[in-house]
Amino acid sequence: MASPLKQFVTSIQNLSAQGSYREIVDMLNKSSDVLVKYREQLPSVLESLDCQQHSLGVLAVLCLELSTTAPMPPDTFEKAFLKVQEFLSTCNGEQIRLMPDSFAELCHHLTKNLIEFKTPMRGIAILQKAIKKLQMSSTQLTPVHADLCQLCLLAKNFKPALEFLDIDMVSIGQENCSFDAKYFLLYYYYGGMIYAAVKQYHRALFFFEVAITTPASAVSFIMLEAYHKYILISLIIHGKIIPFPKYTSQIVARFIRPLSQAYHDLATAYATNNAEDVRNCLSKYHETYVRDNNVGLTKQVLSSLFKKNIQRLTRVFLTLSLSDVATKAQLSGPQQAVVYLIKMIEAGEIFATINQKDGMVMFHDDPEKYNNPEMMKKLENEISLCMDLNRKINQMEEEIDVNPQYVKKANSNQEEDLSPGQGLKMSYSSMNMPGVKE
Amino acid sequence: MVNAPDYESVIKKLENEELNTTVGPVPCPVYSKLLALYVQQNDLCNAKFLWKRIPDSVKQSNPELKSIWNVGVQLWNRNFTDAYAALNVEWSPEIAPIMQNLQHEIRARVIKVVSLAYSTMDLEAFAKSLNYSVEEATRVAQEHKWEIIDTPSGKMVCPVRPPYSYAQVTSNEDQLAKLTEFVSFLEN
Repeated sequence: MASPLKQFVTSIQNLSAQGSYREIVDMLNKSSDVLVKYREQLPSVLESLDCQQHSLGVLAVLCLELSTTAPMPPDTFEKAFLKVQEFLSTCNGEQIRLMPDSFAELCHHLTKNLIEFKTPMRGIAILQKAIKKLQMSSTQLTPVHADLCQLCLLAKNFKPALEFLDIDMVSIGQENCSFDAKYFLLYYYYGGMIYAAVKQYHRALFFFEVAITTPASAVSFIMLEAYHKYILISLIIHGKIIPFPKYTSQIVARFIRPLSQAYHDLATAYATNNAEDVRNCLSKYHETYVRDNNVGLTKQVLSSLFKKNIQRLTRVFLTLSLSDVATKAQLSGPQQAVVYLIKMIEAGEIFATINQKDGMVMFHDDPEKYNNPEMMKKLENEISLCMDLNRKINQMEEEIDVNPQYVKKANSNQEEDLSPGQGLKMSYSSMNMPGVKE
Repeated sequence: MVNAPDYESVIKKLENEELNTTVGPVPCPVYSKLLALYVQQNDLCNAKFLWKRIPDSVKQSNPELKSIWNVGVQLWNRNFTDAYAALNVEWSPEIAPIMQNLQHEIRARVIKVVSLAYSTMDLEAFAKSLNYSVEEATRVAQEHKWEIIDTPSGKMVCPVRPPYSYAQVTSNEDQLAKLTEFVSFLEN
């Protein structure tokens, strides 16, 4: 082993023994040149370090080993993979959280390589462990989340990602972690796709909305694709495009909207409630949908139109013959009408009974009387959720109120903006904020 | 009827087994059992994606996988009559009990849907959707106290909507504690 490397190993071992991890971080930041220079000898460095005791050292070396730009030969990667697998399951969480950026980078490299070798399945369990190591709490979003979702999508195995997706995130990043916006957007984009795949459309819509309403100053492809899928899912659930909240960045209206003609036209066609119009639109823009990989969702849009049309019938009629249902909802015949009706009845989307004797269907009102314990329980759960949210917001607001940067800025605003106009209003409200709370 | 085994924990176990096989191929019995259980639980989304991710070579060497998925496809299309036909093949000893249980589940589901969706239904169609003979179907209808009437177009069953069943009421003290919490939250 070359002497600079030997020195590197010894200082890591000594510092780790003393528990001065911050100094290791400083040292690693300075010594990356040495590691790059003696790249060939890195395996021997790894051998003299222990995954658990010298997590930071191992992390730096592994990260460098995987960060080749050229594709790795299969056997080299195989070796590296086993090492990374061992490292990610045994490393010391306290140590690696001091270098979250490198840790995330290692996971990104691993993901990239697994995708290249077309074995995404192998990484899922490992990344699950990695996320748990990196997180301070289960409600913290890490850059590794996006990797896990990507692997799950490619492996067509969604349950492992859903475990993480089902938890609402309340914090991102941490001390000395630079969270790249790309991984934030990707997490919500991939997450939305996963929910759409398992037909949890409401949750999917929420994920796409988060991706679209992320503050931005330039158009991102991820946002654009999320926007397309948002429109489709919004049509599937609500039959129209749900408007975006006010805080959505200007970019969406100015740049993303004009790029989504095919999707806005579909929404317009859907609004006519005419299946023929929707079909025409689907075939007109077929190539666009194929290119965007949205064909599956567009088919769901069409089938949701039939459901919406049947639902509309329930609001107008009390009884209707099956053939009338078919004509009015533009279905092929009574047979198909029965299929749709039964599907919707079983899902609790409509309340109706079919009378085969006379070939009629009777529509009923929702039997829910809102007077049973189950409804009470639902209400209780909703209230608890709202209370938790409120608590969380108060806590975040308090954090901002005592943030030195914010206080400084708020004070300087007051002094500067004593001139009339917009500024005065701003300082007025910021002056009054604490008063209102008390 | 036999007690339903704890399928959920078995599923969990098999899922983990699949995930943690990072070296070498996943053993085939894991796939077939997991697929059968997803179908049994009517978790067709997950069954579909499992089917999609099973390597082609495994599918070819184990034709039973295809038969299991056939059942899933029929259920996906809500084609119960064909689902019974798809169920009616030789299963390996591992899979057979799951499939038997599934047949039972489908019947229960059909009866529930029929009771919700129909006020009168053709007796023959009813029998077909249960994969029973007309006599057996008549017996099922009688068990549920559903009337059978004669009409010009043949015999009809008149299913009765099941009464709404409520879950157990939570204890009053628990409820009181919750209400106190809500009120104290709203007052502050």
